[in-house]
Amino acid sequence: MTAEAIEARPVPTADWVTIEDLYRNPFPIYRKMREEAPVHWVPAVNRYMVTSYEACHVVENDQEIFSANETNSLMKRAMGHSMLRKDDPEHDVDRKSYGSVLRPKAIKEHWNAIFQQNSDKYLGQLKAAGPGADLIWEYAAPYAAENLRLIMGFHNATQEDMQRWSQTMINGTGNYADDPEVWAASEKSYNEVDDAIDEILPYLRKNPDSSLLSGMTSMPIPLEAIRANMKMTIGGGLNEPRDVLGVAVWALLSNPEQLAKVLADTSLFPAVFEESVRWVAPIGMYPRETTRDTVLEGVQLPKGARLGVVVGAANRDPKVFEDPETFNIFRAKKPHLAFGGGNHYCAGAWVAKASVSGIALPQLFAELPNLRLDPGRPAVDAGWVFRGMTSLPVLWDNKK
Amino acid sequence: MAKISFHHSDGNVDVLDVDPGTSLMRAAVTNGVDGIVGECGGQAMCATCHVYVRPEYLDGLPAISDDEEEMLDCTTEDRNERSRLGCQIKAGDDFDTIEVDLPASQI
Ligand code: HEM
Ligand code: FES
Repeated sequence: MTAEAIEARPVPTADWVTIEDLYRNPFPIYRKMREEAPVHWVPAVNRYMVTSYEACHVVENDQEIFSANETNSLMKRAMGHSMLRKDDPEHDVDRKSYGSVLRPKAIKEHWNAIFQQNSDKYLGQLKAAGPGADLIWEYAAPYAAENLRLIMGFHNATQEDMQRWSQTMINGTGNYADDPEVWAASEKSYNEVDDAIDEILPYLRKNPDSSLLSGMTSMPIPLEAIRANMKMTIGGGLNEPRDVLGVAVWALLSNPEQLAKVLADTSLFPAVFEESVRWVAPIGMYPRETTRDTVLEGVQLPKGARLGVVVGAANRDPKVFEDPETFNIFRAKKPHLAFGGGNHYCAGAWVAKASVSGIALPQLFAELPNLRLDPGRPAVDAGWVFRGMTSLPVLWDNKK
Repeated sequence: MAKISFHHSDGNVDVLDVDPGTSLMRAAVTNGVDGIVGECGGQAMCATCHVYVRPEYLDGLPAISDDEEEMLDCTTEDRNERSRLGCQIKAGDDFDTIEVDLPASQI
């Protein structure tokens, strides 16, 4: 440790990074940063951005030095103090309250049939809108929202409520500019979610089902924690499946040779999913905070340093992934970091895989003949903390 | 100290001495043993810490829990009667010496 500390270099500053550039396309910025150092101080973001695979991996696996319990966390203000901002052992209590609701057996026994119904419904909506429709807003978003609504047990809300709650509270977690209108919308959703939970818990106690909220009724877990965990899950379980679905379709439609192979062998859809979340991590960055002075991959960090763990950059680290900027479903298998790692490893990873690569992608390509991009209206990908398609107009041949 | 031997699919062997209480997965990850990923940090959630325990060490191990059982059906390389999750077996508590074969792939 002492030798390390002596050799450690001071953290470089990346004052050339702007939020606008990150939002448009963060990947050239990540490449430049990674080539220079595994960690930078980035004034525009007001965080130390961790961009190398190895450094992100170290942070994820050491909650004693790299705490998830951030001081002055905007997420705590927007959603309450959820498991995502706790360290063990407190984190573990909350995490266990999710029981087996999001695990493979429950997915097989309960959720796959529901995902299939929802996919049928919103694919019908997309078809009714006709060629030229936006795949994100006619299909991917309502599909992901309706799946999450039922998994969570919000029988007293609509998928539109879920989308509004999710987006307004996420905007709160990113409200560094302290915009009062953003806070107002976020707080309104916060209260609406609390009311919905208060209303539905007694119902679920009498009419139990396989949902998260139903499971909560028999768990020794305080209402405050339930409320915060539900809000975090609304924020973290909707846009991500929507975004990986959009990116996967866009990437396949932009790479016809790979698409042809997938259409000839549908067992490749899971590889499409994994490569899509690697290539464009739906959650590009998440926070941690140092609990003491430390050295991360040779770079010195002070106690209390606010870090951004940029898994969107780690997933394109050439030390791990050959030709990392290219979408290639046949690349050598390596573990990506899109679901995080360690104790906060995504609780919804199996749900995301089942709903997106088990049901949505195969059905879309099977039922929309000659699915293709609309040459007149280009698809738009955007974002960096969260990244996905903001618009994906598609064409297909109507069956005669 | 407990002793773990990791037999890689290419025939190489890594041997570690680890403190009691350390899971087989954690020992591999912190010592950079290839062939074990351990994405979920030991919550029996990811099935990337799959190992085949050599028969002579199987008896001393704790029973397979429901969560482990479920995950063992999700491993990349097929499960067999020697399959366990490395995150669910701990040095000291469950073994003093153990030898495991690593699958060719965890993902
Ligand atoms: C492709 C889709 C998804 C991606 C890429 C994703 C990504 C992530 C990441 C990176 C984290 C860790 C963040 C951190 O450590 O700060 C996380 C945590 C979490 N995710 Fe997901 N997620 C996805 C889908 C879902 C879904 C569908 C659900 C719910 C049904 C969900 C529920 C959660 C929960 C509850 C946590 C917190 C776990 C904890 O703190 O222990 N996620 N997710
Ligand atoms: S480390 Fe994830 S199942 Fe063992």
